[in-house]
Amino acid sequence: MYKRTLEWIDKRFPLTGFVKHSLVDYPTPRNLSYWWNFGSLAGIALVMQIITGIFLAMHYKADIGMAFDSIQHIMRDVNYGWLLRFIHSSGASAFFAVIYIHMARTLYYGSYRAPRELMWWTGQGLLLLLMATAFMGYLLPWGQMSYWGAAVITNLFRATPFIGDYVVIWLRGDFQVGDATLTRFYALHYLLPFIIVGAVMVHLVALHTVKSSNPSGINLADKDNIPFHPYFTIKDLYGLGVYLIVFSIFVFFMPDTLIESANNIPANPLQTPAHIVPEWYFLPFYAILRSVPDLAGGVVAMALSVMIFAAMPFLDRSKIPGGSRYRPAYRVMFYLFIVNIFVLGYVGAKPVTPGTAMLGQFATVFYFSVFLLLPWISKKEEKYLRDRGLPAEVEELIKDEEIKKTERRQKRDRRHA
Amino acid sequence: MKKQFMLTLALFTLSFSAYASDAGIELDREKIPTDSASILRGAEHVVNNCVSCHGLKYIKYTDMLALGIEQKTVDGWRGDKPINTRITAGMPAEAAAAAFGGVVPPDLSLMTSARDGGVHYMYSYLMGYTVTDKGMDNKYYPGTRMPDILASASTTDPKLRAEVSTKAKEITAFLNWAADPHAEERKQLGKYVIAYLLLLTVLLYFWKVQIWSKLK
Repeated sequence: MYKRTLEWIDKRFPLTGFVKHSLVDYPTPRNLSYWWNFGSLAGIALVMQIITGIFLAMHYKADIGMAFDSIQHIMRDVNYGWLLRFIHSSGASAFFAVIYIHMARTLYYGSYRAPRELMWWTGQGLLLLLMATAFMGYLLPWGQMSYWGAAVITNLFRATPFIGDYVVIWLRGDFQVGDATLTRFYALHYLLPFIIVGAVMVHLVALHTVKSSNPSGINLADKDNIPFHPYFTIKDLYGLGVYLIVFSIFVFFMPDTLIESANNIPANPLQTPAHIVPEWYFLPFYAILRSVPDLAGGVVAMALSVMIFAAMPFLDRSKIPGGSRYRPAYRVMFYLFIVNIFVLGYVGAKPVTPGTAMLGQFATVFYFSVFLLLPWISKKEEKYLRDRGLPAEVEELIKDEEIKKTERRQKRDRRHA
Repeated sequence: MKKQFMLTLALFTLSFSAYASDAGIELDREKIPTDSASILRGAEHVVNNCVSCHGLKYIKYTDMLALGIEQKTVDGWRGDKPINTRITAGMPAEAAAAAFGGVVPPDLSLMTSARDGGVHYMYSYLMGYTVTDKGMDNKYYPGTRMPDILASASTTDPKLRAEVSTKAKEITAFLNWAADPHAEERKQLGKYVIAYLLLLTVLLYFWKVQIWSKLK
C-alpha cells in the first residue's frame, strides 16, 4: 500500500529520487566534526521560531494601546502561552548563538573559500535577514527598551545623504516611532522568516552543488565520503538533543535573563531609560556604532562591520588550502578576532564612559584591521610555510588540486575546440 | 582545540557580567520565601496596604481566588465589582498625581521583573527608607515620592523590625508571583522536560556510536 502510493507519486513528482539523492546517498566527508552540526541546528531554530511565532500571532495585538497587554494575556491566560512566549524569546537568542558559531566554524576552517563563495554570500544575506527580523520582532512587545531601541536605530537612517530625514519618516510611517511603525514591523516580522526559508533553500542548493568542506580544508578523495544517512542523520539528531537540553535550561529556568528588565515597563515616549541597550546579539555592532563620534560615520562603520565578512574570499590570498588547520598565523588571527568580538560585546553593554569609549575605539580598529591585514598576512604566511616546507599531505593535496584543475581546464578546452 | 573552546566558553559566560546592575549601592539579598502561605499573606498585605495607591491591573479577583484566598476575603476586597474585574488602584490617577507631586504610583503587576535586582531590589526598597535632614528618603530610590508605608525607617525595636521585614518579604513574594504566575508550573515542567531530553540524548549518543562503529 505504502510502496504503491510512493510509486504513484514518483511518476508525477521526483520524491523518492530527491530523498535518495539529496538526503540518503548524499556524499559527506567522513571527518566532519561536531562544528558541522550547527547548520542543521540553525534550520531547527528557524522552524521553532516560525511555529511558536504563528501561535503567538494568534493572540498578539499590534496596536500600541493593546500590544503590551496582549503579551501579558499570552503569558497569563493563554494555555501554555508563557511557554510559547519564552520559547520564542529564548529561541531568538539561541538562533543567533547557533548562527554565530556556524559562521565561526566557516571562518576557522576556511569554508568560505572557492568554490564555496556563493554559500558564504547566501549565508551573509541570511544573516542580514535574520538581523532585520529580530530587530523588528523586538519592537512588538512595546516595552521601554523595544520603543527606545527602535527609536535609536530608525533614527540612524537620518545619515542617508540628502534625503535622510524623509527616509526616517518613510521607515517609521510617522514622525516618531508609533502605531504605524508597530503595525508595519509586525507585518514584516511575520513575512521575513518565510523569505529566510526561501533563502535557506538557495543556500542548501549551493551546498549540494559544491558539497561540504571538512576540517582539513582540503577536498577529500571520493572514497573518503560517506552517505549522509545514516551517519549524519543520527549525528545531527544527537547534536539536536544536546542543543535542546541547553535550550530548555534557558526556557524553563532562566527565560528572563535574556529579557531586559526595562522591557517589562510599557513604552513611554516621554521617558528615556537610563541605558538603551540592544539584545546581546547586536552588542558588538552597537559598540562599533558608538565608537565613531559622528552619526554618519558610525552608521557606515556598523554597516561595514556586518558586510565586510562578504569580502573574505577575496581578502584571503593564501594558496595554502583550507583554514586554520595548516595555517598558524590565520589561526591566531581568528582567535584574536573572537576575543575582540567579546570585548566589543562588553563595550556595547556598558554605558559610555571615557574608559569604555577608548576601549571600544581600540576594539573597532582591531576588528577592521584583522580584515584589512589579512591579504598581506596570508601571503606572508604562505611564503613562510612554503619555505619551511609544507607537511606531506598538504603538498600532495595541493598537487591533486592542481592536477584536477588542469584536467578540468583541458576538458573545457576540448569541448570548446 | 578543547582548551581554546573552554577559554571561549569562559569568556562568553563572563561577558554576561556586563548585565549586572550598576546600582551604586549593594542590595539587601535576604531570601524571599516562595511557599504558598507567604504568598497568600503577601496578597493580603498588598491589597490592604498598596492597592489604595497602586494598581495591579494584570491580576483579576478570580486570580486571587485561584491562588487560594478565601471567597469571603475576595468578596470583601471587590465590593460590588464583578469577580473577573482587574484590581485597580483605590486612588484615581489624577488625585494620586496631585498627592504625590505629579507622579502617578506605578502599577505593581510586573514590578519585580521591571527593576534590575528583581525581588532583592523590591525588598531592599521597602526596607530602605531612612530619615534624612530633608525628611524621609529611600536609599535605593533617592527622591521617591512614596511614603514609608511599612514604617521601616521609624521601627528600631529589633522584634518589631523583624515583623516589618517579614511583611516586606511576603509582599515581595506575592508581587513576584503576580509578575509571573506560571513560574512554579514552568520550573516543574522544566524538570520533566530536561529529564526526558537527557535520557533521549544519552540513547541517541549510543545509537550514534553504534552506527558509526560500522565504518571501516
